Amino acid sequence: MIETGIPKLDGYLHGGIPEGNSLVYYAYPGVDGGVFGMQTISHAVSGGRCGAYIASSTDPRMIRDQFMEFGWDMGESVFADRFTVVDAFSGLIGADSQERYVVPEPDNINSLTQCIKQVIEEMPEPGIIVFESLSTVMDLCGEKETLDAVLEWNKYAMLYDHVMVYNFTAWPYSEETLLQVKGDACNSVVSVGGISEKVIFGWYFGLLKLDWAEMIRKWVLFKILKPGGVRIYIPKILVTGPFDAGKSTVVHALSNRAVSVDRLGTTIALDHGHIDHNGFAADVFGTPGQERFDPIVKLLSGEAMGVFLVLDSANATGFARGVRMLEITESFGLPVVVIANKQDLPEALAPEEIKTRLDIPESVPIVPAVASAREGVFEAFEMLVEMVMGVN
Amino acid sequence: MSTSEMLVKVLGDLQKIGEIEASAIATRDGLLMSADMHAKGDPETFVAMSATMLGAAETATSELGKDVPNRVIVETDDGKLICMGAGPKALVVVMTAPGAGLGLVLVEMTKSAEKIAKLI
Repeated sequence: MIETGIPKLDGYLHGGIPEGNSLVYYAYPGVDGGVFGMQTISHAVSGGRCGAYIASSTDPRMIRDQFMEFGWDMGESVFADRFTVVDAFSGLIGADSQERYVVPEPDNINSLTQCIKQVIEEMPEPGIIVFESLSTVMDLCGEKETLDAVLEWNKYAMLYDHVMVYNFTAWPYSEETLLQVKGDACNSVVSVGGISEKVIFGWYFGLLKLDWAEMIRKWVLFKILKPGGVRIYIPKILVTGPFDAGKSTVVHALSNRAVSVDRLGTTIALDHGHIDHNGFAADVFGTPGQERFDPIVKLLSGEAMGVFLVLDSANATGFARGVRMLEITESFGLPVVVIANKQDLPEALAPEEIKTRLDIPESVPIVPAVASAREGVFEAFEMLVEMVMGVN
Repeated sequence: MSTSEMLVKVLGDLQKIGEIEASAIATRDGLLMSADMHAKGDPETFVAMSATMLGAAETATSELGKDVPNRVIVETDDGKLICMGAGPKALVVVMTAPGAGLGLVLVEMTKSAEKIAKLI
């Protein structure tokens, strides 16, 4: 099994791609699907696997820089013996190449096949072969010729227990070609950006085909971070709660980067922060807590996908106001996690005790936290993310 | 053409008048839909704050029984920030260059806002 390193996807693939199988990242035009293949090979190679990256549309000398942009060091010194770039580019422009594997005529499918087979044979142990762009190969060698070759490569790789991964962009090729790429060509297909027509805020990925296990039909919103790569993305998480409960502190504790509009230590407009944690990215919106700001709170809380209710564990008088803020933000029905903040204060109530005093559904989890010390906030985040993923 | 590509075109046309350093389209509740920031600043934060500003201005005027504002203009020494509603769901915001003429920018922004309102 070779993991893809794409968050959530390995779960949908039931652990990863089994040896001898193939996967295509089927990206719609306008979506940067190439990063999926890059992330997959860098994850595999850094995990100790052998990998070959077939560069068809980029000068191989630039390939390592492209990986570096995402923070993945594939430089010669690091993975020299396990990672190799196959140069299927230089031959096109008549340039010299420093790579071990060079395709002399990248626009001739037989020349490419010969080189791919050599790589498959010479890879010292079962590993992964990733195509930077199958669409470029198709543009150079012809649609039918390329599809026939893919079938041949996949069979050959299966004999050697390698995993084949293709980045493919669905340019306006013939209907038959697109159907075959999505259908019979590979063991599994991951659609990238497929339902962007409906949701204009982001890109989605999800499985279109899986033949080694039961297929999970789920679509997840993602975002590409540099550095970082593919992250599951939640565009809006609301942080609300009564005055002085520590909402801004929670936003800042969770975020790599955050800004606040505050005066005299209290938020008057909005806290906004970016979270990047454990394969998940999210933007958090922190509301003011004082009642005079309620109209703005209501206005800005729309379209949230999940909510943190922050409470001061040592101040039970604010609990009712907290529940009221869930009403104002129309959060009922959304995944909610209560952060029982300021657990370090001597008079702080335990989460169980808070639960008995809080008029909210039994199913809402309460997480003890000390936001100023960044304790408990990431546990709460992971919990909320799981709930958000479960709903969608 | 997808909706998001159309929004990119609307912003692109708006940029053509020059003197615009950053522009963005967002939902009224502060979610980014499209931005052209010329690699300056963080678009998500920029639109979240702009939406807060516009929302706060609307709340302030309607508290006194006045109509909702047509736009919010923030003047700084090195540019003007203009935020405008674009239909009930969206808003458009631009940051101009220091010496930009307000008239032309407002006319063009109004046109863009009308187009955005029809798209969303």
